[in-house]
Amino acid sequence: MESFSLLLGGFADALSPVNLMWAFLGVLLGTAVGVLPGMGSAMAVALLLPVTFRMDATSAFILFAGVYYGGMFGGATTSILLNTPGQASSIATTYEGHKMALGGRAAQALGTAVIGSFIASMVGTLVVALFSPTMVALALQFGPGEYFALTVFSFVAIAAVVSGSALRGMAALLIGLVIGMAGIDGQSGAARFDFGLPVMLDGIDVIVVTVGLLALAEVLYVASRGDNAPDLKAIKTGTPWLKKRDLRRSAGPWARGTALGSLFGPIPGSGAEIPTFLSLGLERKLAARRERRGGEKSEFGKGAIEGVAGPEAANNSSASGSLVPLLGLGLPTSATAAIMLAAFQQYGLQPGPVLFERNADLVWTLLASLFVGSVLLLVLNLPFAPLWAKLLKLPKPYLYAGITVCSVLAVYAINSSVAHLVMAIGIAVLGFGMRHFGVPVAPALIGVVLGPIAETELRRALAASSGDPSILVGSGISIGLYALVLAAAVFSAVSAVRRARARKAETETEKTPVA
Amino acid sequence: MMSERTAESAEAASGTGAEDAAAGAGVPAPAAAPEDSAGSPDAAQAAGPAEEAAEETAEEAAAPDPETTPWTGRSAWVFPGVTAAFGLLALSGLATIEPPPHATPPGPTVFPAVVGVLLLVLSACMAVVNVRVARRGPSAAPPMPPVAWRPVLIVLGALAVAAALLQALGWLLTGALLFWAVAYAFGARDHLRDAVVALAMSAAVQVGFSLGLGLPLPGGVLELMFP
Repeated sequence: MESFSLLLGGFADALSPVNLMWAFLGVLLGTAVGVLPGMGSAMAVALLLPVTFRMDATSAFILFAGVYYGGMFGGATTSILLNTPGQASSIATTYEGHKMALGGRAAQALGTAVIGSFIASMVGTLVVALFSPTMVALALQFGPGEYFALTVFSFVAIAAVVSGSALRGMAALLIGLVIGMAGIDGQSGAARFDFGLPVMLDGIDVIVVTVGLLALAEVLYVASRGDNAPDLKAIKTGTPWLKKRDLRRSAGPWARGTALGSLFGPIPGSGAEIPTFLSLGLERKLAARRERRGGEKSEFGKGAIEGVAGPEAANNSSASGSLVPLLGLGLPTSATAAIMLAAFQQYGLQPGPVLFERNADLVWTLLASLFVGSVLLLVLNLPFAPLWAKLLKLPKPYLYAGITVCSVLAVYAINSSVAHLVMAIGIAVLGFGMRHFGVPVAPALIGVVLGPIAETELRRALAASSGDPSILVGSGISIGLYALVLAAAVFSAVSAVRRARARKAETETEKTPVA
Repeated sequence: MMSERTAESAEAASGTGAEDAAAGAGVPAPAAAPEDSAGSPDAAQAAGPAEEAAEETAEEAAAPDPETTPWTGRSAWVFPGVTAAFGLLALSGLATIEPPPHATPPGPTVFPAVVGVLLLVLSACMAVVNVRVARRGPSAAPPMPPVAWRPVLIVLGALAVAAALLQALGWLLTGALLFWAVAYAFGARDHLRDAVVALAMSAAVQVGFSLGLGLPLPGGVLELMFP
């Protein structure tokens, strides 16, 4: 109950006219960036980080809350209209969403996505508000050994379970770890991988990595596809008014998707992809069962509204849920959360248990502004979703030139230094290679942000035990986490084998009619 | 059947989805209805006993995941090479990092060395996968999409030039130049209009950042000419 009164206090702050304006601006900008192909909420937050340098922390986080939700919805828009998800968590939406768009029901798909996102983010934020204090209580019992176990858990979950290929995911993660090592080592003060350049002593800024790896790499990637890149002009839009039938069929998926997302979101490292795909699979099975029992026909494969409503709700509630480990433990578990962490650090704030004690008003204002953000999202995007899609009708050259100029500006503004720009170009080339070879980028970003935390905690633990490694498995919490790591690894190995078998079976059944 | 599927997935991978969108936009919604009823028995059957398998294949057909597409051809060796290079770089820390004399063990070189060894192991694993894919023959995997190097190099060149000239030329001109060059790389050929749009964009950013947010952007030569 204490949470509620604190949350009400947060609302009092978040609802001031100035802060409402920031939230509005955030949703607007977030949607605008999210609607661009290949850009998700992570990118939107990264591009806006430098803009907030001169703002006070509260306003900046309110802006971010808006950007976060706006970007997520924008990602759904491109998934539905263009079949190009801006982030991994929107992939599940593309399957049925894009088919709906092809069938002339783009507006309804957008409508069910907006309302689903709204319901889910309301519930998801409530989960954050209620569970973050619990997480903090748990986190207070954590020592360096437990924190290290937690980072290992996040690494394995993100690199091996969420990525399409465990090998590529691990490689991306480790490359991110190497990038994160550059600069002065916080523990010993030794300079690492600075190549004798003073500018490298501060390390490679997270904004540089994000903008290079996501935005500039995306521009290079689209350029590399030449005429094969999707033509953005061929989209049809309409008004997102849902019929009674659409609403009735969406209601169940919204509720189930929200439940799945809220369940998985707070688990560190589970990512938003797992609940979205679980929701898609669940809705497909339920629709098939309904058809067998003589109900309505399943429309899966031809643009089923359930296949948009469920995954979008799951996406939003799990995205809100991923703020639980970020705020409670200081652990980012998604690319967006990683950049949010960078934003916190920019203000000299370290998320984690201490944040709740020292900056409680800020935390509760942030949580309240997440609610405000999701209401604004509904108000702003339900009527205007088709208008947003028109942003894609900008000529492609101008669209990507604009993204490039904004990226260069974002990087330059960090420190008014050209050196950062050179680093960003180098990382963009790496990111382009990763995109081209189908290596996931998110694990690299997590590696850059979490790597230093993991290393520090490991060394602190070993220093405390004067080198005795048994401290790493010295408590029930760490043993439990390592057991989960093992379970996750086994689970992903089993599902990989099953997938390979399914593929084999499929090629065989395809061959039989020919033979 | 197999080759047809590969062609189809390659097409989807190259992002021609928009063409379908164009076709879909032209066709009024009711026209899709007969197809719906014809297709449904299949769908019902697929959702039957082999539900899991059907699910996987349906997802694959919708959008082949580039993260699981195997690497083929000579460029298959690029990423294992990059991985190995990062591994060697991390290992080189053993020689280049000078730990302070009283550093508590484990010192600053241990973590990089462990990561370096892991990267080399991963690189070797990728090489093994490559060899196995190559042994299955060229038909086993769809070819990698081609890279249009010209626009990529133009964008990279424009970025490099922008980084080099930013301080001297100032944001207004550099930003406009960068915009114009990237637009050119993406096929814009109406040079005059492109230049006007580029200057407008660059000026809007300058005004927004300098006046609105108080962030200084370099003035460059323009500052010298019009102090």
